[in-house]
Amino acid sequence: MHYIWKEWKENIRGKGLWLSLSIIVLISVSILFRSSALSFDKGFYVLLINLFDTIIYFIPILCLFIGAFSIFQEKEQKTLIMLLTKKDNYASFLARKSLGLYTVVLVPLITWFFLYLLLLKFNLQLDIKGYSIFVLAIVCLSLVFLQMGAAIGSFSRSRMQIIGYTIFVWFYFFFLHDFILLSFLPDVTHENVKLFSAGYFLNPLQAVRMFLETGMGVYSFGHMSRLLQAFMWTKPASFLLGNLVFWLAVSFGTAIVFSRKEGYE
Amino acid sequence: MKKLTLFSFVFFLLFLMNPEKNMAAENLQAIIDSMKEGAVLKLENKTYEGNIVINKSMTIIGSDKTVIKGDGSGNVISIKSPNVKLSRLTVTGSSMDRNSSEEYAGIKVYTNNNTIEHINIRHSFHGIYLSQAHDNKIRYNHIQGMGKGEIAAQGNGLHVYYANNNLLEKNTIEGTRDGMFFDYANNNHSYGNNISNTRYGLHYMYSDENTFKKNIFTMNTGGAAIMNSNHLKLEDNQFIVNYGNQSFGLLLLQANDNYIAGNTFYMNQRGLYIDQATRNTIMGNRIIQNQIGIELWASSNEQIFTLNRISENTIPVVTLGGQGARNSWSKNGKGNDWGPAFPLTDLNQDGIGDFPVSYHSSLHQLIEDQELTNLFLKSPAIKIFEKINATLKSDEVMFKDTHPLAAAKSSHKTFLFAALGLVIGLILLKGRHQLCITFGRNGRKT
Repeated sequence: MHYIWKEWKENIRGKGLWLSLSIIVLISVSILFRSSALSFDKGFYVLLINLFDTIIYFIPILCLFIGAFSIFQEKEQKTLIMLLTKKDNYASFLARKSLGLYTVVLVPLITWFFLYLLLLKFNLQLDIKGYSIFVLAIVCLSLVFLQMGAAIGSFSRSRMQIIGYTIFVWFYFFFLHDFILLSFLPDVTHENVKLFSAGYFLNPLQAVRMFLETGMGVYSFGHMSRLLQAFMWTKPASFLLGNLVFWLAVSFGTAIVFSRKEGYE
Repeated sequence: MKKLTLFSFVFFLLFLMNPEKNMAAENLQAIIDSMKEGAVLKLENKTYEGNIVINKSMTIIGSDKTVIKGDGSGNVISIKSPNVKLSRLTVTGSSMDRNSSEEYAGIKVYTNNNTIEHINIRHSFHGIYLSQAHDNKIRYNHIQGMGKGEIAAQGNGLHVYYANNNLLEKNTIEGTRDGMFFDYANNNHSYGNNISNTRYGLHYMYSDENTFKKNIFTMNTGGAAIMNSNHLKLEDNQFIVNYGNQSFGLLLLQANDNYIAGNTFYMNQRGLYIDQATRNTIMGNRIIQNQIGIELWASSNEQIFTLNRISENTIPVVTLGGQGARNSWSKNGKGNDWGPAFPLTDLNQDGIGDFPVSYHSSLHQLIEDQELTNLFLKSPAIKIFEKINATLKSDEVMFKDTHPLAAAKSSHKTFLFAALGLVIGLILLKGRHQLCITFGRNGRKT
């Protein structure tokens, strides 16, 4: 609880959280204005997909930065040493810190999307289940990238390193991961498609997108071929859960193993 | 006196029993049979037992809660006489049997010149089935199927079989196998229907010269599948969010000489999917924000694409199976508007670009060979993949528009720039001092 309160105080004084939130607010409001022309049925789903496609560019990098700088600040201000000289070890510090981060980022985010739902109510016919899935998708995305950010903050020694690693991670998941899979695509057969599928859904962006689009009933997997059936060997929600657990564990593990207690400007 | 009391008692008993109502509830067929040719039967707000066969010209009008419930053994309402009018009913409970010699429906029409309107149909194999029935009006009906999960176990919303010159107007169809299915049905007119969450919103087989206007298809596996059908007119329809792995807005398969104009294809997996089709005119459509704007197989020849707006698609056009012969991307010197991704110069301001526009892509082979490629179409990595392959010269020309249209100017953007210019002007004129305080001198006013 102390950590959540401390994290909250630090973040409301800083600019990062407010900047991130204001970007998300701006994007969602501008998409709402753009979609006021959607006079047809199902405009709600079109809006959510468009919003997701736009917001997906921002949430990962903002969460990475917030996570990384939050940890790094502890090193910079020497509060990490003070906290660790108590009974805390790094793992328990990181767990509490992560919990604080989740709360501080997710509470304003969810609050905004709740308010946004009220705005949507005036323009479109709502589907609460679809919207809950959308919010859950955004929450999952934020969790993964916050934890990755925390890992970057743990093993970075300078602000420059943080910026470098963050941009690399963002670039990797946006471009490189799929690009590597695309180059393997011609060799995918029924025998190795499960492995390919695991690789595909290892990308949080793809796992979250698939969960969202199938969950809202927009993307249909009707009349699947044998290959595609083998590719989708479990439910999209299970893929997302697997992805979430995998990346949270890997990020947490990396943060503990490679953590550096000192940071410098 | 005793006799009088007994008579009064029996009379009141009969009066209280309300025999007309109970008879109607128990035997609607008997009432229909007892009525004269051309009679009007008004039904009450209650459930009547089916199944019924209408053998004479008549009108049946229900109320908000009038239900005709079938016994699950056949068609709930069979119309076997011409000039029947049905209105304001809920019809439910046809047979769902797929092994019988007949396909059953909520309402099955065998005759001509009937009107069916404001009918809700639930729990039926087909919704309304026109079997060799001509000149009927089917309008303002709502047909609800069992949802996308059940494809084989249910039939179509409107099934038009060997039936000509019918008007199908402003019907809403959800969750059936196909929304509207035409089989050997010619010269029918469909206007303003709204079809969602089906397999194919519209499915044409061997049906010619039908007109299809202002219909909306959303969230179907396929918007409209036109197969083996010629000389159709599809105008001002909307194909929106038909989005699954195999989905499309409009499929033309072995369909020739069709006229497709003024339609909107928005956020589909493929906007238009053309295979083994010839001489189709695709004019003035908006093909926007699809994963693939137009998927054109080499077996398709002599299509004309003109005056279309094809923009913001991940891939605007992909040609598969080799280059198709004689597909034309402009007509009478007017091509298509390819959006901001294809910048143009139009020095003589005639609305036509000064140079041809062509699009190269390397993805065609991958899409052709590997269906999983579709899963990557939303990924930003696709752009890098295309760029790298372009430098390796392993891409091919997908289309060449010799007369591309200059992009339509957005008045919205002009207004925005004008407003922004005004604000900057005002700040520079009136607020220079404040600006300096804020950004210069670290906010100090000195």
